[in-house]
Amino acid sequence: MLSLENVTVTFNAGTPNEVRALRDLSLQVDKGEFVTVIGSNGAGKSTLFNVISGAVPPAAGRIVLDGDDITYMPEYRRSHAIGRVFQDPRLGTCPGLTIRENLSLAAIHGRSASFRRDVKKEQESWFIEQLEREHLGLERRLDADVALLSGGQRQAVTLVMATLTQPQLLLLDEHTAALDPNAAEQVINLTQQLASSQELSVVMITHSMQQACVLGDRVIMMDQGRIVFEIAGEERKNLQPADLIERFHSLDSGAELSDRQLLG
Amino acid sequence: MNATSAATAQTDARETSANRAFWLRGAALVLVIAAFMSAGNVNIGAVGQGLGYALAGVTVFLTFRVLGFVDLTVDGAFPIGGATCAVLIVNGYSPEIAIAAAFVAGALTGLATALIDIIFKIEGLLASIIVITAAYTVTLHIMGGKSNVPLLGEETLISRYSKDFRGWLVEQFGDQMRRQSTNLLEIMLFGVIILIVLGILYWFLRTEIGLAIRATGKNPQMVRATGLNHNLMIIIGLMTANGLAGVAGSLVVQQFGFADVSLGFGLIVRGLAAVIIGEVLLRPRTVGQLLIAAVTGMLVFDISRAWIFSALDLPTTDIQFVSALVVLAALGTPRLYDRWKTYQQRHGG
Repeated sequence: MLSLENVTVTFNAGTPNEVRALRDLSLQVDKGEFVTVIGSNGAGKSTLFNVISGAVPPAAGRIVLDGDDITYMPEYRRSHAIGRVFQDPRLGTCPGLTIRENLSLAAIHGRSASFRRDVKKEQESWFIEQLEREHLGLERRLDADVALLSGGQRQAVTLVMATLTQPQLLLLDEHTAALDPNAAEQVINLTQQLASSQELSVVMITHSMQQACVLGDRVIMMDQGRIVFEIAGEERKNLQPADLIERFHSLDSGAELSDRQLLG
Repeated sequence: MNATSAATAQTDARETSANRAFWLRGAALVLVIAAFMSAGNVNIGAVGQGLGYALAGVTVFLTFRVLGFVDLTVDGAFPIGGATCAVLIVNGYSPEIAIAAAFVAGALTGLATALIDIIFKIEGLLASIIVITAAYTVTLHIMGGKSNVPLLGEETLISRYSKDFRGWLVEQFGDQMRRQSTNLLEIMLFGVIILIVLGILYWFLRTEIGLAIRATGKNPQMVRATGLNHNLMIIIGLMTANGLAGVAGSLVVQQFGFADVSLGFGLIVRGLAAVIIGEVLLRPRTVGQLLIAAVTGMLVFDISRAWIFSALDLPTTDIQFVSALVVLAALGTPRLYDRWKTYQQRHGG
């Protein structure tokens, strides 16, 4: 479904500040698979998402989505196939527009904007149905300004909007990190429900070892622009947060001190 | 769950009362202005002039507030629209065609700014200064190398109806209305045009394209993530906005009876003041309310300026200085008020 082949991303190439954010990275995600990505800050997790979604061009390598080479396709042209939710709840919805108007925008995915108003009835009722399941109290507030919603509510709306037009791939960038535990749980439930009902391929970045162990089929750990290990199958089923934390610490054992750490 | 719905009901109630407050404030403002004008001896010509310029306030609202684009192009689009309109009328075209052409001319000026911003990645402020500079020459060329085109004796939107309207007015209300007939006619004609334009904009800003333009200002990342070309939204937005500046230019030219190359001077500041005055006085929340507030702001600006002139008995040479003072008051008062409130809180009132 999604495949990255030897992708390299370099920032400030040729200057003393050169940063190799992704180094020769390869990754396969199958249809309907749910992959969680962990790794310390600066490991390249967000760059991985930026290069998949087209916000950042790769310096080398190839990205293929569902058989199409999308390596250099502009962001806005590949976006209909890729839904993305960020950590900051303010990024996924537009303040000053009502929930219904935000939904209208999300429904444009994959075609060009027209002079039409309001979303199709079946899309709207599907949207309401998803929100109702988590009792967010938004079903009857479609004409409220999004700016008035709480972070959890906005993130739930963003998530449902991101899957409204049935993308092939959903990228979740620590999308519950800024929420309180209660709201985070609601958004996680919604994530699982949407992923399974739509057979989406999901890649989720998280700093919560708990989430990484409970959610999805496979765990990937990144460090310094590379994938350092993957856990799948039987091993993944029995995985405990403590195991992951142990492996996390083993990276800093000194055996792999990088130039950056030495110079830091 | 119960807590959520209670909070929801509370927020809903707050929204409803805020919407009602907007219309109440609007009604109160109309009364205050009416009382002010009769007491301060302000000619109703100020209302007609405010309506003539009002669409330039909408231009600034669309660029600064909706698109989030610092755009000064209005200073160039306005005289270009005015010149286009005047030249067409002098050459025998109907005022309607001249006004439509003024929209196109203004829209092309906006397109120039948008393209400079997009192609050369020059930010809006600089891009629009470049365009204004060039627009001066373009305006002169449109007017055939002259800096002024008079419309004396030509059929404008106003002169077409003025004789019939004056006759009807005098017949209905007596001879004392004769002097006000042109002013009243301008207010009616411009009022209708503005209502039509606001109606179209109200519809447009809630279509998918309109929503995308609004989102471009607030959250461009989301527009790109939706698969829309956000540069295209900037182009459509700037063309629409400056097209309206062209229309405002065409109305003012017909009102003044001449087109002049320096007609747009300082207009951006005036438009900005109109937007802020409208926001402060009416506290609009929805798109429709924001549009009404921009028009109202321009009216309040012109009326207060006319009042200052009549109260202090100033010569017309002082007009730009008084404009600057009114703008300063509009921008500065809310900020001073906020500082005063913080001061009060700190010192226990």
